Amino acid sequence: MTALVKSELRKVLTTRLWWILLLASLAWVALSLGVVVLASGMGEGLSRDSTEYAGSVWPMGASGTLFVMVIGIMMVTSEYQHRTINVTFLTSPRRLPVVLSKVVAASLVSLVFGVVVVGVSALVAGASILSGGGELNLVDNQVPRILAGSVAAYVVYAMIGVGLGALIRNQVAALVVSILWVFMLEPILVVIPQLQDVGKWMPGGAVSALYDTGIDYGLGAADLLPVWGAALVLVGYAAVAVALASVTTLRRDVV
Amino acid sequence: MSAIEIREVSKAFRGHQAVDRVSFTVEPGTVTGFLGPNGAGKTTTLRCLLGLVRPDGGEGLVNGRSYASLPNPLAEVGAVLEATNLHPGRTGRNHLRVMCDAAGLPVSRAEEVLAEVGIAEAGNKRVGGYSMGMRQRLSLAGALLGDPGVLILDEPANGLDPEGIEWLRRFLRHQAHEKGVAVLVSSHVLAEVEQTVDDVVIIARGRLVHQGTLTEVTGDGESLHDAFLRLTSAGTDPHTVGDPK
Repeated sequence: MTALVKSELRKVLTTRLWWILLLASLAWVALSLGVVVLASGMGEGLSRDSTEYAGSVWPMGASGTLFVMVIGIMMVTSEYQHRTINVTFLTSPRRLPVVLSKVVAASLVSLVFGVVVVGVSALVAGASILSGGGELNLVDNQVPRILAGSVAAYVVYAMIGVGLGALIRNQVAALVVSILWVFMLEPILVVIPQLQDVGKWMPGGAVSALYDTGIDYGLGAADLLPVWGAALVLVGYAAVAVALASVTTLRRDVV
Repeated sequence: MSAIEIREVSKAFRGHQAVDRVSFTVEPGTVTGFLGPNGAGKTTTLRCLLGLVRPDGGEGLVNGRSYASLPNPLAEVGAVLEATNLHPGRTGRNHLRVMCDAAGLPVSRAEEVLAEVGIAEAGNKRVGGYSMGMRQRLSLAGALLGDPGVLILDEPANGLDPEGIEWLRRFLRHQAHEKGVAVLVSSHVLAEVEQTVDDVVIIARGRLVHQGTLTEVTGDGESLHDAFLRLTSAGTDPHTVGDPK
């Protein structure tokens, strides 16, 4: 298994995809943060020493999770796209260890990815709060949980990506589905109060619970799972993703 | 024990019988040509042998075992199915290193096999910039990583220039006759294999039509080309002009 994980990590790191997506993720987070920071300088924006401002900028690092999901998807679909799956299965004909190695490698890559993106985001968020005269310590000392939860979100999304890629295999289709899910379906389910009963059980809803601050921005406090419940739900999604990736890959003919 | 043994392998895709109870063997120290028209079932047979496709019936054995049960396949079998099984954004050297990692081989083997197939200077280039001939050589290099006793190559001459074909011919004969490797090489280009192979296995429409030595097939003055056409068209086409028996 160690040998296979090493092989999968080398696959990820020897094409340009990972750093293009890392830059894209950083750019996306910077854009999201930038909007809030800029708004804070205007009349109607949140004041940078307010709890509401802190509550909106600290979790911002988690907004780039789509990009690691793309890495997870591409770890599987690019093998079919470029037909390197032949070489992979000729080298390691037992397929289950290959699938599990992809999941482990995706987790490791996304962990580092998450630490970098969430770390940079936290530095910017902290600096903007301090420069606005606010305090780094959010109510009930929630900052460490928010940041750890944000990093965990990256790992879960990468694992789901591997499962989705193995299920759909067609690269374009898998990417379109993931983008629709993350940018359309989940936000609707999580944001609209009447749909939150469903939304809180979605990966996006559960991830929100990990970094939610409980602050009411006018829509009412979000109806989310408790942190421990959300963590369990996410472990469940990751397990389902791994099971899907395994079942769909083990028996199919590679022609 | 034969190096490769195909036993009664059958496979249908969506009702189309691609391979129908094909059996043959390949012995160490020989180059065996696996011949047949396009669509005859050559690639499907090889994929069944290599564990990529699950046969409906029968089995393929390498050194007496199924491919998936080999403890370290790369050390026993080097197989190339298509020279296009490469990621264009990865360098040739890294393609080989990925394989070394998975097979537990030292990554230094990558340099050695690149030199062996004569593309050492291209190792740092992305595969997207390789010619078809270079891709064939890189794929072949991957098959050599574990220094295997069995080589299985599907249409390895595709995209090679005449010089490359001559090189491949010498390479395969060296592997079989000097190193005792069992070489199975599929092709639909008969002129190419005629000067390379010792034995031939001919299939048509999913069925084995002939296995034997090259001299058996071409013995009575008939060229491999004519023998091939006679064997592969038997029973269907009115290709029997001038031979009314």
